[in-house]
Amino acid sequence: MGKGLTYIMKTVLEKGQIFYQGKFQNLEKLVIEKGKITEINLVSAKPKKGKAAPATKKKSPEADNIVNCEGKFILPGFIDAHTHISLEQDGIGQSDSDTNEVFGLVTPQVRAYDAVKMRDNCFKEAVEAGITTVMIAPGSANPIGGQCCIVKTVGKIVDEACVKESAGLKMAFGENPKRVYGDQKKFPSTRMGTAAVIREWLMKAQDYLKRKKTKEFKDREIKLEALLPVIEGKTSVRAHAHQADDIITAYRIAQEFNLDLIFDHCTEGHLIATELGKWKAKAVVGPTMVTRKKVELRNRSYKTVETLMDEGCLVAITTDHPVMPIDSLNVAAAICVKHGLDEDRAIKAITENPAAILGLEKRLGKLEVGFDADIVIWKTHPLDARSQPEQVYVDGNRVV
Amino acid sequence: MATIFNNVRINMNGKFFPGQKVLVENGKINMVGSSIFKNVENVIECEQRYLVPGLIDAHTHLGLAEPGDKLSDITESELPITPQLRPLDGIRMHSRALEDARRAGITTCMVCPGSDSPIAGICSILKTNGNSADVGLIVEQAGVLMSFGEEPKGRAKSYRHELSTSMGLTALIRETIMKAQDYNIAKQNKKIVKDREIDMEALLPLIKGEVPMRVSAHRAEDILSAIRIAEEFELKIIIEHGTEAHLIAPILAEKQIPVVIGPTLVPKLRHELNEKTFEGAKILADAGVDIALTCDYPGLPIETLRVAAAMAVQYGLDEKIALAAITENPAKILGIDERIGKIRKGYDADLALFSGHPLDIRSKLEALCVDGDLFIFSDKIRIED
Repeated sequence: MGKGLTYIMKTVLEKGQIFYQGKFQNLEKLVIEKGKITEINLVSAKPKKGKAAPATKKKSPEADNIVNCEGKFILPGFIDAHTHISLEQDGIGQSDSDTNEVFGLVTPQVRAYDAVKMRDNCFKEAVEAGITTVMIAPGSANPIGGQCCIVKTVGKIVDEACVKESAGLKMAFGENPKRVYGDQKKFPSTRMGTAAVIREWLMKAQDYLKRKKTKEFKDREIKLEALLPVIEGKTSVRAHAHQADDIITAYRIAQEFNLDLIFDHCTEGHLIATELGKWKAKAVVGPTMVTRKKVELRNRSYKTVETLMDEGCLVAITTDHPVMPIDSLNVAAAICVKHGLDEDRAIKAITENPAAILGLEKRLGKLEVGFDADIVIWKTHPLDARSQPEQVYVDGNRVV
Repeated sequence: MATIFNNVRINMNGKFFPGQKVLVENGKINMVGSSIFKNVENVIECEQRYLVPGLIDAHTHLGLAEPGDKLSDITESELPITPQLRPLDGIRMHSRALEDARRAGITTCMVCPGSDSPIAGICSILKTNGNSADVGLIVEQAGVLMSFGEEPKGRAKSYRHELSTSMGLTALIRETIMKAQDYNIAKQNKKIVKDREIDMEALLPLIKGEVPMRVSAHRAEDILSAIRIAEEFELKIIIEHGTEAHLIAPILAEKQIPVVIGPTLVPKLRHELNEKTFEGAKILADAGVDIALTCDYPGLPIETLRVAAAMAVQYGLDEKIALAAITENPAKILGIDERIGKIRKGYDADLALFSGHPLDIRSKLEALCVDGDLFIFSDKIRIED
């Protein structure tokens, strides 16, 4: 699909506070060209140069757009590493939902990408709240739920917004799968059953991989094809787990099959923080602004993020949209600050950390030369719930 | 037997020219012009009436959808993937709807199984005359019908099928095509003796690129998913319904994907119909997309095909294109434009004679000719021997 957007040739942001290398610093100049950041100069610091960036003395060519950011805050676009935007459609909900294959049980072959609807109003709300990239995952009804995708929040059709068509395979532990299949009077209806289903299919995939290398192999099987990148370690497992025991079960299985693992929700993570730290765990924590309406949420805490970070985990904060609306992402981070988390770390938890968890640390989540120009200019501090972005750039295009 | 339609108006590049004659012999159009002098058995004095090619509806369930669920032969509800289903085995040619089609000037239609299975069956093209489907048959395997959106999802949910979301149905279609590819490779391998599989056999012409996937889809996203699959497996593709196709008109134009638009004269009873507009036809045509119009019988009564074209004109579509959208365009989309869809020497003698302009709803069909078979619907028409 052709890119529907046309690039403004060059934009220059001047002055203001830039969130750079983990803290706010005084910006002299940031240059955006062809959708990328090409130059960042700080006040009273050595100029950071791009490949062919001219020294500050040299007069740079005319910019199409010069923005004076004095007194303002310049941040990378926020990233939510776990949402279901437009699978559960805004204002439609259950009457036409694409979130869960509730009769499928094991559905690694389904791709969220094939059900993303860019016209969903929540993409617009996301951009207006400064969120420029989201991961969209199938729901947690199935032990093996399907393939996640990563998209920018701007674009008329998904192929324009695409960052990664297939990014991580969703698996679910704990109450959801046992409730969905238990209610249908089907297997599995226990945590043991869920784990057995997952183990069974990973085993099948390993054998399939062996079989595929032989000459007798003929017929592809779409479910096992979808599991191959997981057992080959090329894509991560996104493990939906709230309760500490479920987190540990996911880890046990990941060890057994040598999987790259990301913990989603991780609600009781703080109870096993030492272990998670030892495992150098990657965790997408949230939604936190919800009531404890399931047993596995009974220890839900605003301290989890900080506790895990202290132990050395890579932690991102999520809204789990539509559980919490996507535009509450900065509020979720702010509440963690209220409960003791350092402000800069809270910002990292919705920028560079989710980028790193999604494997996009060389392209998104930071304001660095060579990175995508996904930039948000805030009039007031972004973790103040009263703040609204003043300008939002995605791939160098102004979208708000 | 030969017939002359004497003194008719014929559409020439959007304008109807009077004083024309059309000679029909052996089921074909043998001559068109103002000066044909030949003694034939039948001379139909048309007195400046309008003669158009027999109308074509490129997406119907004629003869399959009958009143009442128990009589209907339209869908195998329990099975999601049924490419082995062939409309010919289910069509009731004496269905009232076929009579209605003839009385509406429709001489050719595509008939397919219902659009609430991800892969429903093959599509067949037939004429509306004849006592058996075999007599009227033009092309039996003219494509494989696939469906996206709320209808197959709703069906899958009510039957508790394994896959029942957009993600799932897309994956199911992908899986089936993958299987067909592997089946094809195994079949070509002389060393392997393989049992035939009836569903895979039905898909072979599709994956070899001989026939298109005919995609019943309303939402823009569903259309794009179908295109993604078509590109992935290098398949030909035609969009059916295309309720939101106008939202992605430039993409469809660039990829040269035709759209069979309709049914439009229906209420917006599902989410996926929210953006439905009669302007869709004009927007798509302006962008350069090949369009045809359909009633999707029984979505709408088959006799409303001309109404669909007239409504599109009301909403801005050029009259010439509107008429083409129920004659030569569907012929082209169905791949039968070598013999159907125009009043031209050598073409099938499928002709509809209207009392006035065919897009004026008040005009009445007075005579119909299908493969040279004459049906007279008005006592005003004089046949002279």
